[in-house]
Amino acid sequence: MKKGFIFSVAAVALSSATLHAGSFQLNLQGLRQTAMGGSGVAFPWDVSTIFYNPGGLARLNGIQAYAGVFGVSPTVRYVPDNSGETYAETKRHLSTPFAVYAGGTLSKDGRLALGLGIYTPFGSSANWGNDWTGRFITQSISLQSIYFQPTVSYRINDLISVGAGFVYGTGSVKIKKALPVQDMNGTEGQAVLDGKANGVGFNAGVHIKASNNLQFGLSYRSGVRMKVNGGDASFSVPAALATNFPRTAFDATLPLPGILTLGVAAKVTPRLTLQGDLVWAGWKSYDSLKFDFVQNTASLADSKEPRLYRNTLAVRIGGHYEICKQFAVMVGGAFDPTPSNARYVSPDAVDADRFSLSAGLSYAVIDKLSIMAAVNYTTTAGRQVKYEPANFSGEYQIKSLVPAIGITYKF
Amino acid sequence: MKASYIPLIAAAAMLASCKPTIKGVTPSSGEANFSYYVAIGNSLTAGYADGSLYRSGQENSYPAMLGKQFMTVGGGEFRQPLLPGNAGWPAPKRVLGYTTSCDGVTGLGVKLYAGASDTSGSSTSISGQGPFNNLGIPGIRCVDYTVPGYAAIAQSLAGVGYAARMYPHPATDRPIDIAAASNPTFFTMWLGSNDVLGYATNGGEGSGTGGAMPTDISTTAAFEASYNAVVDAMTLKGAKGVLINIPDVTTIPYFTTIPGRGLVLSTPTQVAALNAAYAPLGITFTLGANAFIIQDPAAPGGLRQIKNNEYLLLTLPQDSLKCGGWGSVKPIPKKYVLDETEVGYVRSATNTFNEIIRAAAIRKGLGYVDAHSYLGTLQSGIRFNGVTLTPTFVSGGAFSLDGVHLTPKGYALMANEIIRVINSTYKSSVPQVDINNYNGVLFP
Repeated sequence: MKKGFIFSVAAVALSSATLHAGSFQLNLQGLRQTAMGGSGVAFPWDVSTIFYNPGGLARLNGIQAYAGVFGVSPTVRYVPDNSGETYAETKRHLSTPFAVYAGGTLSKDGRLALGLGIYTPFGSSANWGNDWTGRFITQSISLQSIYFQPTVSYRINDLISVGAGFVYGTGSVKIKKALPVQDMNGTEGQAVLDGKANGVGFNAGVHIKASNNLQFGLSYRSGVRMKVNGGDASFSVPAALATNFPRTAFDATLPLPGILTLGVAAKVTPRLTLQGDLVWAGWKSYDSLKFDFVQNTASLADSKEPRLYRNTLAVRIGGHYEICKQFAVMVGGAFDPTPSNARYVSPDAVDADRFSLSAGLSYAVIDKLSIMAAVNYTTTAGRQVKYEPANFSGEYQIKSLVPAIGITYKF
Repeated sequence: MKASYIPLIAAAAMLASCKPTIKGVTPSSGEANFSYYVAIGNSLTAGYADGSLYRSGQENSYPAMLGKQFMTVGGGEFRQPLLPGNAGWPAPKRVLGYTTSCDGVTGLGVKLYAGASDTSGSSTSISGQGPFNNLGIPGIRCVDYTVPGYAAIAQSLAGVGYAARMYPHPATDRPIDIAAASNPTFFTMWLGSNDVLGYATNGGEGSGTGGAMPTDISTTAAFEASYNAVVDAMTLKGAKGVLINIPDVTTIPYFTTIPGRGLVLSTPTQVAALNAAYAPLGITFTLGANAFIIQDPAAPGGLRQIKNNEYLLLTLPQDSLKCGGWGSVKPIPKKYVLDETEVGYVRSATNTFNEIIRAAAIRKGLGYVDAHSYLGTLQSGIRFNGVTLTPTFVSGGAFSLDGVHLTPKGYALMANEIIRVINSTYKSSVPQVDINNYNGVLFP
């Protein structure tokens, strides 16, 4: 069993590795890690290592419970080409991805650890409004997910511990777009696609404690194909065209990339720990987004929207400074290159190279109970792109400020 | 403890820049002066659509769109001779509705608007409300511009007072004088379509080699003289502008909607009967699609099958095709057919006139909008912000229900093409219009 773990992790590691990056991935699964630029594969700060590196779980001393919530409300601005100073922005909408973990070593100084993580690895909400210029491509899109990850971890010796978890993902997708058909009042048609999705995968990692001051981590989260089976597609169109747009079921698949992360953490002074991650994301699997309608008509054909994503390598760094026993502060930053292709950036999945800065603090109210807070600021430069299938081009910019709060309890 | 301020300060700094900051290019007028813009032209310029002129069509004319965009670069108010209502004047506009054909089948079809008339007072002269920026007159030809009393003549000939209601002295004014007196700083001129279109939409019944009547193709000499005179008059005081050429009328739905090979035979009995009837002329039929029989005085027996490069007009009565035996046992009358020779005359005249237009643009240093080429690209579909427009009747979205004039969306395409040429000619930065803000074809 032990050997099996090592073998599989190593084999995967040869092919690739990492953490989230760009697009609709969320990198908000732990408070301390978020405060440190999203890094955290090398250091098991707390039970949130179930997500960041399951191999670190066996390093915890005893059982912990953990909960965090994040306030996400990005703004995306679109400036169309050759259209003067007009622009469109997504409507502000607060979504609250969360992370809950419980687990740890079964006994003090035990080698075996068990845990469960429930978190939201991806999500996206962009509401451009019903009347904006790109409404025939998208009016609004909402992707939501919750992953359940039961995890087991084993400390082989003081140097190496490993861990792995099975991932079951469940989620939903809701898409609204206008249809370019108008009734006698000029009112445009609309399509609403609504479906539930699910998929499976795994998350595995190895943690190496070279010394008390130097640690390494490697984790691989597998790709997950989130499949929508039997979603509901409904259309509002002029009566004369109703037979062209029948209400029908649809299938779709959203492939989430495999992510391989390699990280290091160093205690440079007794109070200061620095850490950094290199994150590889296998976005190349996201070649196109297909919608397969069960009932096709002359007006309602299956659609295949090209994405042509490419793999990315992101860098995340952070520092943790312990001011006193109860109180610590963290800062960090990250650079996430975009996986998207500048010829195929649709307004329902705007992306660009992201720069982020973050900070946070933790305060131990009592020995067993800590509260944590973090804030992440992410921005992109203006990016000139096109969505060729719709001949839709312009410049986009994304800004996002994410506050977060969490609590952890050691049993 | 000091270090704990860092995240707080950082957070405060971040809050200050939480909104995106990118901006588009600030509009600029470049080398042109858009303060007083005038549009010269015919029905396409007036905003005519669906076989008539009505208020919302005028409000969505391409000159009105341009006038609005010019306001961002110093343009003033754009005044149009607006009609009071939307029913269509003088005839009701065409709308989509349910129609029942001679064989009892009810389906979606084009019919005349049957709602309440709201056009009373349309004939009353509104010249006192001028001057108008949109001088587009439905039906006017280039060669009409130098005709004294054109407005009165058009009113008595066609019964339509489009010019008469705008011109101060309909009985004596020449259109060229009205245009010159508008004294614009910037103008667009889309003139010349009716110098070929009247011939084509009447099935080539007039003169294809040059004549004076509205159903003739204008003579090259008259066209050239009139066109250059108007351009000279418009630029006399240094106005800048663009000249827009004549589109290929044979690609519009008016000529391409009814297929030449639309005679569909479904039984051997039908085939045998027609073969027997046409045996003396050597015309044979097969199961499936066949070419319609058309009238042609030059052919043996005065009739023949229509060729692939010939067109049937949208005005061809469908009931006569379906139930009256037209195209099979009776030939389709030639006034509903644009035959090979007639198509040749139309294309040749269009090319000749467009050469004159292009030469005028070069001579005066004006912008030249090649509508002939641009609207030609509609054939393969023009895509804009998720919408694809094609020249297909009804479903294509670019042409209105008369098969000749554009929908507001189609006019918006033209507005953007004109803006593109303006910006490149005059180094200006006039913003493009959002095509998706304008209607296509409306369905019940």
